Amino acid sequence: MSGYAFDPCERCEEMMQPYLDRELTATEMGEAETHLDTCAYCRRRYRFEVSLRRYIRTAVAEPMPADLKAKLSQLRIELQ
Amino acid sequence: MTEPTSADTRRVAQGALDRVRFEEEALELSDQVYRVARHLAGSREDAEELMQEAYVRAFRSWQSFTPGTNLRAWLLRILTNLNIDRGRRKQRAPQMTSLDEKGDYYLYDKLEEAEGRPLDEERVIEKLSQDSIVEALTQVPHDFRDVLVLVDIGDFSYADTAQILDIPVGTVMSRLHRARRILKRELAEEAVG
Repeated sequence: MSGYAFDPCERCEEMMQPYLDRELTATEMGEAETHLDTCAYCRRRYRFEVSLRRYIRTAVAEPMPADLKAKLSQLRIELQ
Repeated sequence: MTEPTSADTRRVAQGALDRVRFEEEALELSDQVYRVARHLAGSREDAEELMQEAYVRAFRSWQSFTPGTNLRAWLLRILTNLNIDRGRRKQRAPQMTSLDEKGDYYLYDKLEEAEGRPLDEERVIEKLSQDSIVEALTQVPHDFRDVLVLVDIGDFSYADTAQILDIPVGTVMSRLHRARRILKRELAEEAVG
């Protein structure tokens, strides 16, 4: 890590979540992308995070029970 | 008693139309609202009750919604407030979870360590079962989980999440950070012990 005043991988780890959330500034995004382009260690972890998020979203997705939807529509009528 | 003018009649008719439009839009969003509600509430039954209470409140107070603003966020704000009112914090004890969370790369590093070589990230994720993810999520303390569910499942921005939960954006960021680390720690324990 010589030549850096800080560990760039540590900095990348810090920025990883807001980067994935699209909440970084344009400058920070550029910084994260430049590092990811050149660092295989962080890039592997970045790809893992992307897959993990997608997988979590799919794993916990539960469709709304059909009878609940009907109950909600019924509430609308009852309250009129 | 004065007869209603045509302007009054038009106003009443417009009000009825606005109400119907609001109700239809709210119902169209119910699948998306449920997807979040399911994991804000502890169980399927709680989620169903919460949805009904939230929709009763939304239908009654439809006039306080500002057209053109984010209706899904508005509905979830009602639902989140109701969830807190229901005294959910007293119901279960996942708050006992230790907050000794690990780093952001912890799960990857543990899985890689178990594998003994760099991971094929797609393949390794298959080691995490659907049930283990749902279970790990319930182990994240409520305050942290609310933020995680709104951002990662509801796909809300930090700013929208802050508005829904009535907390500062900085708090959203710090809770989210901790929630994800706790979740990964739980998943790592599940996957590699």
